[in-house]
Amino acid sequence: MNTTTAVLSSRADIPSALDVAGLALMRDLRLAFRKRDEIAQPLAFFAVVMTLFPLAITPELSRLREIAPGVLWVAALLAALLALEHLFRDDARDGTLEQYALSGRSLTWLLYAKTAAHWILTGLPLALVAPFAGMALGAPAHALGGIVITLAIGTFALSLIGAISAALTLGTRRGGMLLSLLTLPLAVPILIFGAQATDLAMRARSFAAPLELLAAFAVLGVTLAPLAAAAAVRISLE
Amino acid sequence: MNWTWFHRLGSPPHVYRLARTLTPWFAWPAALLIIAGLYGGLVLAPPDYQQGDGFRMIYVHVPMAILSIMIYTIMGVAAGVGLIWRMKVAHAVAASCAPIGASITVAALATGSLWGRPMWGTYWAWDPRLTSELLLLFLYLGYMGLRSAFDDLQRADRASALLAVVGLVDVPIVHFSVVWWNSLHQGSSLLRLGGPTIYTAAMLVPLLMMIFGFMLYFAAILLMRLRGEVLRRERTASWVKEALAT
Amino acid sequence: MNGLTHFLAMGGYARFLWPCYGITFAVVFLNIYWARRLNARARSEARRRLAMREELVLEEQA
Repeated sequence: MNTTTAVLSSRADIPSALDVAGLALMRDLRLAFRKRDEIAQPLAFFAVVMTLFPLAITPELSRLREIAPGVLWVAALLAALLALEHLFRDDARDGTLEQYALSGRSLTWLLYAKTAAHWILTGLPLALVAPFAGMALGAPAHALGGIVITLAIGTFALSLIGAISAALTLGTRRGGMLLSLLTLPLAVPILIFGAQATDLAMRARSFAAPLELLAAFAVLGVTLAPLAAAAAVRISLE
Repeated sequence: MNWTWFHRLGSPPHVYRLARTLTPWFAWPAALLIIAGLYGGLVLAPPDYQQGDGFRMIYVHVPMAILSIMIYTIMGVAAGVGLIWRMKVAHAVAASCAPIGASITVAALATGSLWGRPMWGTYWAWDPRLTSELLLLFLYLGYMGLRSAFDDLQRADRASALLAVVGLVDVPIVHFSVVWWNSLHQGSSLLRLGGPTIYTAAMLVPLLMMIFGFMLYFAAILLMRLRGEVLRRERTASWVKEALAT
Repeated sequence: MNGLTHFLAMGGYARFLWPCYGITFAVVFLNIYWARRLNARARSEARRRLAMREELVLEEQA
């Protein structure tokens, strides 16, 4: 079934790490598309969680508007955490992950591709759906673009960090809860700056400063996280 | 420069014996310093102008807070060494640090909370230091949780070591974010867990004694736990048999 | 006695200060206890492993 691994192990002229990563990315996207309801689940979870807050606190839009950035980010964080369990699960189960590790191609790049695919499938849709949630929480129209951008970058950084904890908890039994517990403290900077950026956007103020910091974290994550995740995967496969 | 002593630190039987010999050398000075610090801080030091006798809580809170971070750093570095050079002893050090660090972080939080109540009127405040301490506790608990999720000790060592290293890199970032977050919301800047108004020698010396005394105490406990952790990681019978007899 | 009462009262902060010190030293002694317990368990586990190994050796020889 795995044309990708066949390509990896049998070609005489060795494709670059980038080519291989690209193949892995397309594979993940294609496979996910066959199970479209799995893409919808994090979104549905996000919507449900987001709904809980008005139910638990107040229906008044004026008050909801105050807490809207926080609610959006917490709901997005929780949805992203749930989705992280799927990042490696299938590939670990059918041995593809092992193939990646043994393939002699850069595991870091392959994991980067997997993480990018994961974000395209979960974080990005979340960021695109968030403006609707924001409106439901009383966010003004001019803030919607800001909501999309801040959540897009934030969820990307989250996927990167989450890949590390997902890889670490691969071999364990109570993976899901532990994964969340491990990822959340590490994700606090993303939450703080992301929520602040969204908050400023909603107040029609310049949110460049926290956004830039958020982007800086994302860049830092891009450079370091896949390395750590690759190490974690190797440890899990030992 | 003779580096033999350093290389021998990688040898479990050597460390097992060395830890036993060294423990009293840390434990007794620690006890003396702490007792002296307690006397200096509780009895000798005069009450503070603003906080009265309440400032004396500093003599336990600050050492606990400093130690909580120091232990995490040591844990992260030891984990990194164990990961890179595949040293069982290094992993044993990291494993030993975790419960000590976690309990001390709880103490730091509790003492901070008790200090906060008379000073700010509330048992909890989202000030940068307390919030960072809380996140540090979560990091410790995550580390210990990951460890216990593995049946194989070696896998547990390596996985938790990676987590510790990642956490170590993240701790400054987390702290920076929390400080920034806190500064945004002006009200709480008044609630910074400040100390007494003036630091006189009479106040400062006992504090330094307590800090240093607790550091020595930590070293003693670490050495104690290290023996047990080293033993758990040893498969070969030869030195174990001999060691158990002593 | 007045001196002791005054000392224990800690200028009115007693109900925060003494629990503060209490928790700290509870942690101090707990860690000592945990360390000793860990070592005791490690030793008994090591002894058991040794005994099992020696039993295996004896069985092989038999």
